[in-house]
Amino acid sequence: MMVEAILVGAVRGGTSMLFAAVGETVAERAGVINLGTEGSMLAGALAAYAVGIETGNPWLGAVAGLVAGLLLSLVHAGLVISRGANQVATGLAVTFLGLGLTSLYGQSYVSQGVVPFDPWAVPGLSDIPLLGAVLFDHDPLTYLSFAVAPLAWWLLHRTGLGLRIRAAGERPGVLETAGGSAARVRWIATAIGGGLAGVGGAQLATAFARTWSEDMVAGRGFIAVALVIFAGWNPMLTVAGAYLFSGAVAFQLELQARGTGISIFILDAIPYVVVLIVLLLLSGRRRHAAPESLDKVFDTGGGSA
Amino acid sequence: MSRLVELTNTGPVRTAAAIAATFVVFGLLLLANGSDPIAGYRAMWDSITRDTNSLGDVLVRFTPYLLAALAVAVPARAGLFNIGGEGQLLVGAVGAMAMANALGQGLPRYPTLVLMAVAGMVAAGAWVGVAALLRQSTGTNEAISTLLSNYLAFLLLGWLVFGRWKDPGATGFPRSRILDDNEVLPILWGRVHVGLIVAVLVAVAVWAALRWSRWGFQLRVLGGNAEAARRAGFASNRLAASALVVGGALAGLGGMLQVAGVEQQLRPAMMTGYGFTGVLAAWMVRHHPLRAMASALLLAAIAVGGNGLKIRAGLSSASVNILMALLLLGILGWGGRRVVRAAT
Repeated sequence: MMVEAILVGAVRGGTSMLFAAVGETVAERAGVINLGTEGSMLAGALAAYAVGIETGNPWLGAVAGLVAGLLLSLVHAGLVISRGANQVATGLAVTFLGLGLTSLYGQSYVSQGVVPFDPWAVPGLSDIPLLGAVLFDHDPLTYLSFAVAPLAWWLLHRTGLGLRIRAAGERPGVLETAGGSAARVRWIATAIGGGLAGVGGAQLATAFARTWSEDMVAGRGFIAVALVIFAGWNPMLTVAGAYLFSGAVAFQLELQARGTGISIFILDAIPYVVVLIVLLLLSGRRRHAAPESLDKVFDTGGGSA
Repeated sequence: MSRLVELTNTGPVRTAAAIAATFVVFGLLLLANGSDPIAGYRAMWDSITRDTNSLGDVLVRFTPYLLAALAVAVPARAGLFNIGGEGQLLVGAVGAMAMANALGQGLPRYPTLVLMAVAGMVAAGAWVGVAALLRQSTGTNEAISTLLSNYLAFLLLGWLVFGRWKDPGATGFPRSRILDDNEVLPILWGRVHVGLIVAVLVAVAVWAALRWSRWGFQLRVLGGNAEAARRAGFASNRLAASALVVGGALAGLGGMLQVAGVEQQLRPAMMTGYGFTGVLAAWMVRHHPLRAMASALLLAAIAVGGNGLKIRAGLSSASVNILMALLLLGILGWGGRRVVRAAT
């Protein structure tokens, strides 16, 4: 059944991006764009995989993934927040750092057996037609991911920290006048983003792909950053974006399996084109939704050369 | 009142210190992996300096890196991010191949090569032109659209190489036909092709254009203060678009030079990472076209050294990404004078 396959694929494939994109939403709401999200996912993937193998416990692996992704994002935070370095350039460099570190330290783990997160079907619920397979027959990290976006929304809109995060992104001056520290809040938000990207990487390596290979994140972290804009910096809509992208991936995989005669390269392009088109349709309308001081990030390009 | 921290001129002493610190940190990371850092550096050094051919390999790699860096530097003057160099290199190579196919050996060597270069530049310029149009018409962030377009360019190349351009005689992995003699760049020595001279001349030309032309001046104003540009009556949108398109065309030229000078064919994995390395090279020198020659050369040496790390020290060649990333991070964070001023 094609619809079911696409929906299941959307959830299965989209979970790692969902974690990363929700985390990046929190960071960007504080005014920090982190293209190092890709690197944090890689760090999380390898750390989860390696710790999973060494300890035999995938949960410890997931925690290690969180820590690894978080630590790498602190490099970004330190340079961008404390040293005033350009965000896009720093983020890309951090991704390169993650790529290099994981290929150096991951070499001995390539094609080792993983201690995987096995799917756990929720008794009863997983028997519901369609919905059961789509929502209730997954690995534990995927179940956790269902809670991540609502939690992020709650954090941003119902807690004091969330208020400070939004203030740091919109009106850092006001936050400072009120006695807060925009820098500290941005450190925290960036760390949350990196930690969640690390969990996303952990899900990718230990539950989805169940393997480690060099550069295995393959752009998912970059897509996650694009999804944040797609979702207009709204963590709930981010979920829709992640599932839309991975649903498009599942859709074209279904078409490939059926043999449509269309080149697989054209089919592979569908998810990217879908994201670009949605960005296109939404960006004019959503531009005002961008955190105010996020724009500055994009304006510090070459003025000092 | 919040403060805006901005880095200005890169001091040579601080840059040197950042580079030195980078090599120390990478050595420590190798040590943490249980590898001998001295042996690692020696392996890298040997693979660069073994003979004139290995030095040539650095120059061969330098060529596309420099053009990919210029592709970032020109839009950056206008305050724009081009992270699509990866894809623009490929589209340039595809454009050059399309022209070569269309000409069908009907022209002598030099006109053929010039037309291939023009085709590569036009193709990649048009490719990034879409991102420029999206930015202008809907405000789609060009950093994101150019980043996503990398994947589309990769798939375009795959579609051609696995499909209509596949060489029926290719054994093993699919690839395009191999270029004929009059479609290949002249060789200077060893593997070093004439593209090296082209790239250096282009860097000088870009520097001169940015410094002395009216266009370069307007880009600087736009990048420095968009409001001032608007009040001065500049056609800001068209200026920004022109910077992106010129950047794309420069990367396209890089792709053409690579295919006509090195690869002599299209294959799916060609130039992987070159565009991103160009981003690093441009940012290391704050988008100065002449200094980009130094950063592109350094990164080319590190990349070629990475092959040595793999062959002679048994380490993953992608490990050198650490070195490249730390270099840029060091320069971004500690390479310049800090100027703190009140935010407006």
